[in-house]
Amino acid sequence: MGDMLDKLKVLSDAAKYDVSCATSGVQRQNTGRIGSTQSMGICHSWSADGRCIALLKVLFTNKCVYDCQYCVNRRSADVQRASFEPEELADLVIEFYRRNYIEGLFLSSAVEVSPDYTTERIIRAIRILRETYGFAGYIHAKIVPGVSPELVHRIGLLADRLSINIELPTTKSLELLAPQKKMSAIVAPMKQITETILDRRLLSRTYGSYSGGSGGAANLSNNGLMIRETAEEFPLGMKHQIQSRGGYKEKFAPAGQSTQMIIGATPESDRRIIKTSESLYKTFNMKRVYFSAYIPVGNTASGLLPSVRTAVPLRREHRLYQADWLMRVYKFTADEIIDEANPFLDLDMDPKMAWALRNLKRFPMEVNKVSYEELLRIPGIGATSAMRIVRQRRQAAVKFDDLKKLGVVVKRAQYFLTCCGRYYGGVPQDPELIRRELLPPENQLSMFSDPAPVRIESKGVRYD
Amino acid sequence: MIDYLYDGTFEGFLTCIYENYYGIRAYGIYPEADYQVSILTQFKKVETDEQKALAVYSGIRTKISEEALERVYKVHLSAHKEKENIILAYIRLGFKKGSFISAMHAHPVVLAMQNQEQKVTFETHRLLGLVRFSEINGILFCRIEPDHDVLELMADHFADRYKNESFIIFDKRRKKAIFCAGGKWYIADFEPDEIPGFETGERLYQDLWRAYFENIAIKERTNPRCQKRCMPARYWKNLTEIGIL
Repeated sequence: MGDMLDKLKVLSDAAKYDVSCATSGVQRQNTGRIGSTQSMGICHSWSADGRCIALLKVLFTNKCVYDCQYCVNRRSADVQRASFEPEELADLVIEFYRRNYIEGLFLSSAVEVSPDYTTERIIRAIRILRETYGFAGYIHAKIVPGVSPELVHRIGLLADRLSINIELPTTKSLELLAPQKKMSAIVAPMKQITETILDRRLLSRTYGSYSGGSGGAANLSNNGLMIRETAEEFPLGMKHQIQSRGGYKEKFAPAGQSTQMIIGATPESDRRIIKTSESLYKTFNMKRVYFSAYIPVGNTASGLLPSVRTAVPLRREHRLYQADWLMRVYKFTADEIIDEANPFLDLDMDPKMAWALRNLKRFPMEVNKVSYEELLRIPGIGATSAMRIVRQRRQAAVKFDDLKKLGVVVKRAQYFLTCCGRYYGGVPQDPELIRRELLPPENQLSMFSDPAPVRIESKGVRYD
Repeated sequence: MIDYLYDGTFEGFLTCIYENYYGIRAYGIYPEADYQVSILTQFKKVETDEQKALAVYSGIRTKISEEALERVYKVHLSAHKEKENIILAYIRLGFKKGSFISAMHAHPVVLAMQNQEQKVTFETHRLLGLVRFSEINGILFCRIEPDHDVLELMADHFADRYKNESFIIFDKRRKKAIFCAGGKWYIADFEPDEIPGFETGERLYQDLWRAYFENIAIKERTNPRCQKRCMPARYWKNLTEIGIL
């Protein structure tokens, strides 16, 4: 079993650059023998880099026929190679899961032999989990570019979430760094997944719960978990019959799909990255687009990648995630977040604040009057505090002192709002002056620099 | 001015609320076990009465809201020293305002309740992930030391997830445990003399987990502050990957 320890080390080491650890998006009781999922997701631990550990994140194998320049597992790299056997991986997942170490499995793989061969092996491992062990916990499966549509379909019926990494924000960069991967081979399965999910949603709306499947030849495996292999035409008359059998209602990727791209390996601007992710959200209904700051593990000798001494662009990655959040939760468009003139995000300031300073003519807003959507545009006000303001003001006007209690970050919000007609920011509505107030002292001009900065002494009137 | 003392149970607490309305108005409510006698206030021990408790229980549900009842119950599980008085103020305000109370986010009484409830709910959620079982003689055993009395809020989740397992979740601080087998659970006082050691199979999976935990961190991104913020150090001693059980 020391063998297992080595394998786990090699194959988790190879998988750690995959970012997604989400276990959210699907609520399911224990429909098998062990396991359940929570729609909000559960984190189980946090590793030394502060990233959460919720899934056992491993590669099935790191033996790869591809030679992607940025990748730690590329064929030409001198790393230790290993593969799991489907049985031993399934056993490991169950034993970890029983001890509540993990919320489920994240299974990815290098391309061994061919995309189809690799995917068959992944499907085998997941089937053992679902069928032999009756595992009803969370499974995130990676789709290898170039895999055949039938296999994408089969894996979607077993896993909760699927993902295909887009890797780089433009086709040009992909051609340069990963010549064996084709953008079309990445996009095709994305499209297939989106369409299958939409199809099934439409069906379930018309006919109640669509339990999917081959319409008759459902094989009830020995643990009562109902698994069906193919999805042919569904004879509608059989709906009740199949539903009344109960058990596991077959769904296709109920937690949707996500993708990931590498930041800082290629010279694309933040604007390019954000535009690409916006179109991914729109076109494919992605649950998430993840970013991963490039860590110099790739083939630096080729001269295509930044040198080993290049700092990991963590701050940039953080700002991109904030911009991503603005798109998903606050309904900003990519063009609002970042314009042609400044194609990179401000590293000193979060993108919502930067947007507000560029659009000062829309502020200050009166918190007791503006709509929920407008409240969301104020820096320092989030979804929870905006909702509380809307609820509270139905009974009595929200006062400035109330804002903090409602969860507003007053330090940032004060420059962009009025309360009962009064402005509490203290400085005039000028982007430069507000910016100076907001940034920490070390970022401001020092006492000795020349010319002396203009400081506004008056902080306005406050109720204390 | 009178303080009511009760036995620490939720029913006992509701009986005190009943006395507050139908007897003498309460100045404060405290559990009998750690009450500090003061020269300024009198005190009276309230006998737990199920009928009276039930009257208050359904009173809160119908005259305030279902949500308020849940909030009262959860805050009663918190470890706050003055939790009874926070709830008392909330119930008094609630009976005046009715279901409107749920929108009064900035009111100090409601705010105090909201904050305490959030702490209890958040710790429950956090522990659903931070519980670590070890297999001992075929039974899954784990030890936790939560700030708040969240044991019962965790039970349904694990009872469903491990419906074919037998497990014990032991709250060391409150000396009680969830016992669960076949999806059914109960909570009872529990004080184990000695926990048997682990067998080799168990040790193996613990070692694998520790190796995984070490390995999954990206060295170039090491960020212990972020790790501690998400997973406060007070939980570490009961984690397989860090502490020693």
